[in-house]
Amino acid sequence: MNSLLQAENLHKTFGQVEAVRDVSLEVGKTDFLAIIGRSGSGKTTALHLLAGLESPNSGRILFQGKDISPLNEDSLALWRREHVGLVFQSFYLIPTLSALENVAFPLYPSSMTAKERHRQAITRLKQVGMGHRQKHRPGQLSGGEQQRVAIARALINNPNLILADEPTGNLDSETGAEIMQLLRKLNLEDNVAVVIITHDPEVAAEADRVIKMKDGKIVGNKY
Amino acid sequence: MNPGYLFTELLQRRRRSLAVVISIALGVSLFISLQAYGAGYRQAARAPMALIGADIAAQRQGDVPEAFEGPVFPHSTAPIHRDEVEAIRSLPGVESVGEAVLFWDFDPDQFLVVLGLEPTVSIDKAVGPGRLLTAVRDGRFLAQNDHLKAVVDVSFAEENSIKLDDTVLIAGRTFSIVGLVDTSRTGQVANANIYIPLVDAREIAGSAASVLAVHDFQKGDSNILFIKANQAQAENVTEAVEELLGDQSLVSSAQSFGKVLGASFQLIDQFGWVIGLTGLLVAIAGLLRSISSNLRERRRDIALMRAVGWLRISIVKQLTAEAVVLSFAGGIAGLGIASVITFILNQTSVNIPVPWELSPTPHFLSGGALEMGLTIPLPAQIDWITASAALLLAVLCGAGVGIVLAGRAANIKPAEVLQDE
Repeated sequence: MNSLLQAENLHKTFGQVEAVRDVSLEVGKTDFLAIIGRSGSGKTTALHLLAGLESPNSGRILFQGKDISPLNEDSLALWRREHVGLVFQSFYLIPTLSALENVAFPLYPSSMTAKERHRQAITRLKQVGMGHRQKHRPGQLSGGEQQRVAIARALINNPNLILADEPTGNLDSETGAEIMQLLRKLNLEDNVAVVIITHDPEVAAEADRVIKMKDGKIVGNKY
Repeated sequence: MNPGYLFTELLQRRRRSLAVVISIALGVSLFISLQAYGAGYRQAARAPMALIGADIAAQRQGDVPEAFEGPVFPHSTAPIHRDEVEAIRSLPGVESVGEAVLFWDFDPDQFLVVLGLEPTVSIDKAVGPGRLLTAVRDGRFLAQNDHLKAVVDVSFAEENSIKLDDTVLIAGRTFSIVGLVDTSRTGQVANANIYIPLVDAREIAGSAASVLAVHDFQKGDSNILFIKANQAQAENVTEAVEELLGDQSLVSSAQSFGKVLGASFQLIDQFGWVIGLTGLLVAIAGLLRSISSNLRERRRDIALMRAVGWLRISIVKQLTAEAVVLSFAGGIAGLGIASVITFILNQTSVNIPVPWELSPTPHFLSGGALEMGLTIPLPAQIDWITASAALLLAVLCGAGVGIVLAGRAANIKPAEVLQDE
């Protein structure tokens, strides 16, 4: 496997609770991977560790061979901006901004001109089938549409890796299936590695590889 | 910093934004208006003296005349001797000194208030009643080397049917009237019925039995001095003149007029800065509370900023800019409100009581005991340095509030916030 991300012996505790225990996994450059487990299995914490949103108590994460574990929060933010797209179950769109502005949101602090930002955001919105809803605010969009906008936002920096936490969790099964198809299309067409956290076996079945977690540990790895 | 996002957020919370802008506007306008009000009163307090082109009037109390016959000095105008005048002239901060001799002339047929003054050729050099040069209604003003010439107050002339080129008898001397002057244009300080050359007034006073009975009046003495002083040193000059003239000194200045302008002015003059600053700080506290609430409501958005790669400094800049924009808008609105308040203050008038010692009329005569006062429009005006300082202070406080609160907000752990739901 052509490795993009490697997690080695990750350990994370919150007080007395061991959320992640000795987790090691590898994500290839074009992988479509699902991490599955029940609520409390540690899958979301594992995703946060992979995204650099949490620091492991022990273990390390290598991205393209480089250890990102010792990086400070600003360096990790910069790393996410350059390499990672995040998708959340609750979409987390800014309610005051239009779909277009939400997609461009990660680029706001950059020195890019507004015109260029908008050009890129329009491209991404069209890519996820939302080109016709640029001016709409999140409150004017359906759940599926909001998640498409969130995926467009995750793509705006041309990431190598998309980390999605329960991307279909707030959607009906039909819309969920459409979102999974979209992520699969991006994985294939843009060569973006996708890691999905889910508790739904049907969603996990769409992935090339499924990692099962229980009590903070990896208990299964199915291709 | 993204201006579009900034204004979108401020407009989205428009009620709260408006409340912040209004509270800062009120604080800033209170601060600026109080200074304008205080400055207006201070300016007004200078008016009685400014009208006669002086900053300080110096007199000395003396004995009451033994008899009201012929020329007498009012109780408040005992002689100021030559050496004292020269000492005052050489005080640091004194720019020029105008001398005068005021006396009452009680003749069997008439009573006159007479002021002997130094003839003036140029208004630029006139200190004290010499400024009447600009108030000549008819004829001319007193000139250098005039002797036994007089100019008469126009209303006195009308009451007594006196015309130009008539003569008037003062202490047994005949004076030709060379001019009529409108004294109403020069205020109520150092007003008289008849103005004569200082040299003649000294001669009359120096030979008047009623004056010499109670005063040691010598050739070259005066009994009122009009002093023009450097503005920065005016207060020191006032104190020095009081010390030179001793316990009986009666020194009038902008400060002494200010003291009789009433409690509200005293309060604002002394505590205006404190009251204004307190208002401004209360407004800043409002800003603090509002920004704090905004940031609490936007925890999720801030966490998202961090998650999608915003650096801490970018978040602080973005959120601080919101506080700065609100405080700047509040400051500008406050400036506008202060301008309106100052305009309204300018439509009001202020009465400046003129103290009894500057009244030329004996109290025992009809109308003499009436309280004198000068009523002028309140010259309130915004001091642009104060206004700029208030605006700058509001913006700096806004920036400070923003940096502190946004700095704290930017420390948010996105993983803690973005997994709650």
